[in-house]
Amino acid sequence: MDNLGFVAAGYTLTGVSLLGYVAWLHARIRRARERAAERESWE
Amino acid sequence: MRLLRETAAIAAKDLRIEARGRYAIAAVLPFAATMLVVFGLALGPGRELLRQTAPGLLWLAVLFASVLSFRQAYETEAEDGALEGLVLAPVDRAAIFLGKGLAVAAGLLVLEAVTILLVAVLFDLALAGRPLVVGAAFVLGTVGLAAVGSLFGAISQSPRARESVVPLLILPLAVPVLLAGIRATAEAGAGGEVASWLGLLVAFDAIFVVLGMLVFGHLLED
Amino acid sequence: MRTLGKLTARPGERILGWAALAALAASAVLSLAVAPPDAEQGNVQRLMYVHVPAAWLAYLAFAVVFVASIAYLRTKRTRWDRLAAASAEVGVLFTALTIVLGSLWGKPVWGTWWTWDPRLTTTAVLLLIYVGYLAIRRLPESPARRARWAAVVGIVGFVDVPIVHLSVVWWRSLHQEPTVLRLGGPTLAPVMLTALLVGVAAFTVAYAYLVTLRLRAGRMEERATREALAPEPAERGRVAEEARG
Repeated sequence: MDNLGFVAAGYTLTGVSLLGYVAWLHARIRRARERAAERESWE
Repeated sequence: MRLLRETAAIAAKDLRIEARGRYAIAAVLPFAATMLVVFGLALGPGRELLRQTAPGLLWLAVLFASVLSFRQAYETEAEDGALEGLVLAPVDRAAIFLGKGLAVAAGLLVLEAVTILLVAVLFDLALAGRPLVVGAAFVLGTVGLAAVGSLFGAISQSPRARESVVPLLILPLAVPVLLAGIRATAEAGAGGEVASWLGLLVAFDAIFVVLGMLVFGHLLED
Repeated sequence: MRTLGKLTARPGERILGWAALAALAASAVLSLAVAPPDAEQGNVQRLMYVHVPAAWLAYLAFAVVFVASIAYLRTKRTRWDRLAAASAEVGVLFTALTIVLGSLWGKPVWGTWWTWDPRLTTTAVLLLIYVGYLAIRRLPESPARRARWAAVVGIVGFVDVPIVHLSVVWWRSLHQEPTVLRLGGPTLAPVMLTALLVGVAAFTVAYAYLVTLRLRAGRMEERATREALAPEPAERGRVAEEARG
């Protein structure tokens, strides 16, 4: 049925957005850690 | 009561400034009028559509005018640092919230009177039916808009916020006022039921005036 | 001396993350394979198992923002501000998801992407309010001021939402258009109810994990900024020497 496309789109979007947000947060953490480590390495 | 006295003093000060500067008349009223003409051009020239949308357009013009008015009410003081002076004075923060709200509300009521006439003419809005109901809707709606506007107008102290964030906040928060005001105005013209909408306005006003008095102080601290 | 614990994820956070993944997977299986298709809407009704949990968790997230905002204004402790910021960001994510899923559900059922359905419309207004909240947090002001202003928005916004909802419901009722998202008829079959509840549970675990992760990101970024502003060690020594005269 055509409507399965909507269901697939909805569930895929849910998964992608949640995983994407997690990935983005991890990237932010990594970047922050790099900035802090940069400072540390000067000491 | 001291709060009332301080509120009145602040309102009087703001009204005096307005009387001298005439910002509302010079800029806000023409802005509202321009909006309405442009709305008419955008939606017209079919008379029927304009008549149907007239209450909505009227209230939109009032809403945008109130955002402008509160921005100006806080902006001039913030620029000169007068707001800090007000904060340092032994004045109840709530009085600032109420006083400024009252001053702008008074200006808005005058603006609304003119705008209603304008809309009645431009869009053939039927109002003769129940003028008291329409009046009540606008007074109550103005109080609600003034509560929201006076509260978030304080964020106009930040120049960046003034431009975009404050309107972004005020508009969704004012949705109940918008809907209730429009519906009450439209139903008054059509002879429909208005009590629930007016009741909603009363509830909104009560909640937001009290809430505003409670939290406003936090917006002024540095 | 930095404790290693602050740099890496605490074990609890990791467990939460895997638990969320497992719960969501289980929920997906229940929603897509175990639950039967709806009598009226067919398979499209399965979107309920993601749309409704997303909506509930969005409201929960903003309720947390509300409580944290009050706590911050009362105690002025940064931990409440951090919690509010984290929960608001996650809440906006869930809100946007709710709206898109609602739209995806509505299109095949009613033929249009948007029907001004009362709940969806209120959710749209909710999104705007908390996007505004996030915008306040990015203003070029002192952190304390930003936190206070955000807290006020977090409180006022949350109080306003029920009023908005009421006004939109009344507004909508004038036209007697039925709401798009009837939950599969007057009552839900037990299997469907179970699937829905599992979905809510899964999303709740996901919310907890996302907020935990976001809190850590916030802490790391705060620390990185603090370090960037602190004077270099060599300078620290020199400044101290100059101060001693």
